[in-house]
Formats: sequence, structure tokens, C-alpha cells
Amino acid sequence: MANTATPEIMPDIERDEKSKPESEKEPGYLVICWNDPVNLMTYVTHVFQAVFAWQKQKAEFHMLQVHNLGKSVLVRESLEKAEHYVHQLQKYSLHATMERDE
Amino acid sequence: MALLTLVLRLYPVIPPAHQPLSKTGAKSMDANQRLLDEALAEQRKENKKSVETLLADHARFHESGNSIRMTLKATDIEWLLQVLNDVHVGSWILLGSPQKELPLPVADDPRAPQIWALELARHFQSSLIDALNHGT
Repeated sequence: MANTATPEIMPDIERDEKSKPESEKEPGYLVICWNDPVNLMTYVTHVFQAVFAWQKQKAEFHMLQVHNLGKSVLVRESLEKAEHYVHQLQKYSLHATMERDE
Repeated sequence: MALLTLVLRLYPVIPPAHQPLSKTGAKSMDANQRLLDEALAEQRKENKKSVETLLADHARFHESGNSIRMTLKATDIEWLLQVLNDVHVGSWILLGSPQKELPLPVADDPRAPQIWALELARHFQSSLIDALNHGT
């Protein structure tokens, strides 16, 4: 058997990202879909499924939020990803915007 | 077929740069807004090309009795839905974004072309989504 050095065990100093205070979190953007009286409910559900690869049940939940409450926060993302999603939703002519999550 | 062609040839109806990236309209978003407008304009060009290609491909349309069956590839579905909804929403915008459903127009109503475009686009869009949901 070859000689092997005894491994040195270092203390675990990994940062606990989950317990970061709110003020230290990455700035985020909310992707919001707003209600309008023109888009079909089945169409909005289809678009949410196509853009976010959501199951129908989740897509319908957000579609109903838009319909009943006037808007739905779909995702919270980085600037680039939020822009990407707004572009995808607007390609389908949905009323979608991104707002800074203060 | 004639009605579908008529609706598709109206595309695009939504005015360019109609959609804001953000409701707060922060100055810092100006460059991002320009990029979004450019990306949407490019998308419209692509969709317009796809419309022309589809309508020129007569093999996709099969007459059977009094009806015409249109064959779509899986890749056609999303752009076709985008085109139909653009005509649907765009016609609604041209009508002043009414909050209630408009009655079907009488012959001399100057809003008749937009109302019919809205109704027809919605009908085709709805049929396409039904077909998707029921796998036909």
C-alpha cells in the first residue's frame, strides 16, 4: 500500500445565501402581466405555458389572477432574464412589463 | 380560406413601439426600451415572411366538400397565434380600446372593417387553440 498523506480537514465556511438579509439580495425585477378586456383566457394560458414551460394548472392560476385581480407577478428575475421574458410575452401581444422589486 | 387570407394579410396591426417595457418609465430603461422595440420589429418582419410563405404554399390547403383543411407544421403554431392575436389586439386598439364587447356593425358603420377583423382573428385564434387543446 502506498503512503498517503492524512487529509487536512478545513472548517466549512460556505456562505449561507438563504439567510442573507433582504437588503443584500441581488436586485431583482418582477415580470408582471396586466389585464386587458381583449385577450382570450385560453390564449393567455397557452402563452404562459409556452413562455415559461409551466404546467396548465399553474398557467391557469396566473391567468385567473390577471383576470380577477388586474395583474399577476409571473416571475422575479435578473434584469436580463426579466427583459427576455417581457420580450417573449410581448411577442404574443400580452400586456407585460417589468418593474424593479424594491 | 379567403377570410383567413384576408386576416393574415392585415398583419401587423399593432402600432410599432406600442408596448412599454416598464410602467414606471425610468430613464435608465430608455436603452432597454429601444432594444425591445427593435427586437419586436425584427420579430414582426419574420412573422410577415412566415405569413407570405404559408399563403404561397398551396399544398398546405386541401379542399374537401364545402370546407378547406389547412395543414400546419408544429413550428407554425406559435407564430400563427402571434399573428392572429396581433390582428385581434391591434384592431381593438384601432377601435379605441373599448372596455365592453362591441355589437356586430351595420353595413355603413365606419368601424366595420376593424370590428370584423377583430371578430375573425379571434375566431381563427380560438379554433387553433381548441385544436391544440384537443389534439386535432
